[in-house]
Amino acid sequence: MATFFVNGQAVTAEKNQTLLRFLRDELHLTSVKDGCSEGACGACSVLIDGETCRACVPKTDSLEGKHVLTVEGLSDFEKKLYTYAYGEAGAVQCGFCIPGMVLCTKALLDKVADPTEEQMRYAIRNNYCRCTGYVKIIKAMVLAAKLKKAGVIPEPSETDWKLGSSVHRLDVEEKVLGYGKYPDDWYLDGMTYGSAVRSEYPRARVLGIDASKAKALPGVVAVLTAEDIPGENKVGHIKHDQYSLIPVGGLTHWLGDPIALVVAEDQETLEKAKKLVKVTYEPLPAVHGPEEAKAPDAPRVFDEEETNVQAYKHVSRGDATGAIARSKYVISKHFETPWTEHAFLEPECAVAYMDEDGYVRVLSTDQSSHTTLHECKILLGSDKVRVQNQLVGGGFGGKEDMTVQHHAALITYLTGRAVKVKLSRAESLLIHPKRHPFWMDFTIGCDENGIIQGVKASVYSDTGAFASLGGPVLERACTHASGPYNYQNFEIEGTAYYTNNPPAGAFRGFGVTQTCFAIESLLNEMAERIGISPWEIRYRNAIRPGQELPNGQIVGPETGLVETLEAIKPYYDAAVAAGKPVGLASAMKNSGVGVGLPDWGRCKLIVEADAKVHIYAGASCIGQGLGTVLVQMVVTNTPLNRDDIVYERSNTWIAPDSGDSSGSRQTLITGEACRRACEKLTEALKTRTLEELNGEVFYGEYLAKTDKLGADVPHPVSHVAYGYATQMCVLDRNTGKIESMVAVHDVGKAVNPRSCEGQIEGGVVMSMGYALREQYPIDDNCKPIDKFGKLGLFRAHEIPEIQAIVVDKPGLDVACGAIGIGEITSIPTAPAIAEAYYQLDGQRRTKLPLSDTPYERRCR
Amino acid sequence: MEKRIALVACNGGCRNDSCGYGCIGCAACVSVCPADAIVINDCGVAEVDESLCLGCGACGDACPQGIIHLHDPGCPMVVKCSNRDPGKVARNACQVSCIGCGICEKVCPSGAAKVTDDLSTIDEELCLSCGMCAVKCPRHAIYDLRGVLTAKR
Repeated sequence: MATFFVNGQAVTAEKNQTLLRFLRDELHLTSVKDGCSEGACGACSVLIDGETCRACVPKTDSLEGKHVLTVEGLSDFEKKLYTYAYGEAGAVQCGFCIPGMVLCTKALLDKVADPTEEQMRYAIRNNYCRCTGYVKIIKAMVLAAKLKKAGVIPEPSETDWKLGSSVHRLDVEEKVLGYGKYPDDWYLDGMTYGSAVRSEYPRARVLGIDASKAKALPGVVAVLTAEDIPGENKVGHIKHDQYSLIPVGGLTHWLGDPIALVVAEDQETLEKAKKLVKVTYEPLPAVHGPEEAKAPDAPRVFDEEETNVQAYKHVSRGDATGAIARSKYVISKHFETPWTEHAFLEPECAVAYMDEDGYVRVLSTDQSSHTTLHECKILLGSDKVRVQNQLVGGGFGGKEDMTVQHHAALITYLTGRAVKVKLSRAESLLIHPKRHPFWMDFTIGCDENGIIQGVKASVYSDTGAFASLGGPVLERACTHASGPYNYQNFEIEGTAYYTNNPPAGAFRGFGVTQTCFAIESLLNEMAERIGISPWEIRYRNAIRPGQELPNGQIVGPETGLVETLEAIKPYYDAAVAAGKPVGLASAMKNSGVGVGLPDWGRCKLIVEADAKVHIYAGASCIGQGLGTVLVQMVVTNTPLNRDDIVYERSNTWIAPDSGDSSGSRQTLITGEACRRACEKLTEALKTRTLEELNGEVFYGEYLAKTDKLGADVPHPVSHVAYGYATQMCVLDRNTGKIESMVAVHDVGKAVNPRSCEGQIEGGVVMSMGYALREQYPIDDNCKPIDKFGKLGLFRAHEIPEIQAIVVDKPGLDVACGAIGIGEITSIPTAPAIAEAYYQLDGQRRTKLPLSDTPYERRCR
Repeated sequence: MEKRIALVACNGGCRNDSCGYGCIGCAACVSVCPADAIVINDCGVAEVDESLCLGCGACGDACPQGIIHLHDPGCPMVVKCSNRDPGKVARNACQVSCIGCGICEKVCPSGAAKVTDDLSTIDEELCLSCGMCAVKCPRHAIYDLRGVLTAKR
């Protein structure tokens, strides 16, 4: 027992526990986020006697007499100061790391009135952020220092909320002050805790489950197994091959396969009970990777499948083989890219309870509440489910699948009790689908002027233990492997293999991050072979309006690759002239699902009793700022002001399904649906006031219509829109470290330029990790071996200067010309960095993360 | 950060003078320190006042035991022991010795703490300053120099 002070109030902790558990579970100070509970992430940072500490480290008994401060305990001036500074700088995305960052800022400013930028970077270097690349957080710190000295907080620099205005995001205050709720921040009366017992072997036959001892433990509410599932056991985006619980007699597919769901009154009992569930197995040989998976006598990962091939794609136009044979210059190379962990700061969590209408209400953190609804309905065999998005602490593709939501729904459905199901960080690292590792063989042929004649490639990936989005990722890897260039002889075949490794699925870039590294690296080598610059070879081949992409699509006047090249040229030329090692790469990325799939954006504008327009779109804000985008869309397309508009988080019973936050699609597709709803609302407002419109619903929908892959039309529309980018890396010749990154992006109309820059900076830093350091090693037992703090994520003091440039080129005639930015920010980064290292030391690197750089992860 | 400060890797808990690794209280460091930042404390070992230390490293050069290192003051978690004897011997030699048990290595989230030759060391480049090692060290050989997660000494 210890008595100490929290935000100035004396408190007594009876039970000796970590400060984090005490602050959250007993005091419900939920600004203190639980990102890992192992000391790594920094999201639970608090001040103890003025020093930054992670709340998950000290036990309460060690804190006698000490003073603990959380953001709830900041003075009113400080609350306004940090809300303003973080909003003005555009430093808030998913928000999960932000209260910790704010407290680091405060600790520094309390000690040093006028800190240098280096001191600021240093002050937050122990706290991870996965969204922002730290650039705008540091800007917020600079601004906070200035305003704290001045003692006055000004008005935001931009306030008109129209498209093109860098207004403060609407979710800044709730994220800075920590009162916005992520699922884990809910503490419901009588709430139980649920967690899955998972397979001890990557591949084994489950022979029996004995839960009798666990069930007999006082405080255990239920132990559920596959037999208890009322609906379909298997769920999944496209292919239903993800077991919700492995039945007796069934095969396990990886170490994350759940076998029994334990439900208990409290977290301690839950952990004890999980250990009491006895599962007997017949261990079987596992498939450790694609090489093993493709062997003729390989064990099959699935009982239900004939082979371990999860997906096969073949894309061909023109005559690549012939064109390459006739080319003056030909280069063939093999490339490899690694597994990558999303490392979003918020681990997966779902809370479920029976609502007043007898529906299972799921409070979720996911990339689509409607997808969660759909999967839960399959599992429960019932329509009585409603899903409500909470704040989402980052996704990057890793929250597209069911991890905890369906389990929470099942528990509430069967027990009638409220439940919280949360993954520990170690579970999170194992369970949500990762970025696919790829093995790629590419051949490119060019003429004497560097004009691409043809490209032929063969790639394969490890899609792990269930399909997730392995098929579409493979397809996107193949369709975009050509690069954004104007040539017509292109052929690629790709195969995704099931293995007993953790599953792979969506990850920012969706397969293109992998094949872009191959094609752009080859293009850089080809430029040298021909004797022109990497810039020149791209400028000569760049796809221009009216030309035909290798996939057959004729691109429209909005196509802005050339503009990105022209915008980067002064920077490129200056770096080359200064004798610096510099690398360049370009990319394209679809905005919208495309390839003939029904891609609907839907939005309702409902005028409610408060005489305000409430925006309901079944589309998740995963940190990118969708709510702000939609409000700016409404302000631009109606006569209304910001104060007339309320953004509602996605739910499934009022907000219409607007698809997953995936494929950089929400700004464009839900944005256009919202614009269409605005047309109807504007018409109504011509004759009536908002008060008079109370209860009226204005609905907009938009189908982004495309053609199927390989459609038998001369010029199939593969995607409604593409974003284009060129990025550049400059190295410091003395240190071998990155001096600066320049990222030029064509996004059509930037809805909120500062948010857009934030996306670019965050994407670039994420892929600096992909290029230089991040790994996700898996051992012989198919087990990922590293903790969160060892993934190799970049930290604030390691970030070079990052210049984000948005090319202002009119976009499509939908969504007021806005094109999604989410993924492309991460795509050309790695090949640009690889080329810079080649310029430094003459070594062509074909494998990520790059070897022989100062960033290479050292093993201790 | 550029500035580094001196750390004496010994906390003076020895019994019967049986530790051959720690500070012997010879005050060689005290005499060479240009900033008068080092004193011999009441445990008989050298102690650095971080606010005065210039980070010149003269003390480290002068120390006959070779146990004064320059470290990053932004990494407050430090191992204040230099004993490389096997656990049992180290345990008997001192009340606050590192016995190389490896708990720090196990709980370290970032791979910064590692035991080599029966002694824990922390790689400051990898360290996230979480203090998990300091809190879990059964021998109180790892300290939070800020005095927040552990006593200052």
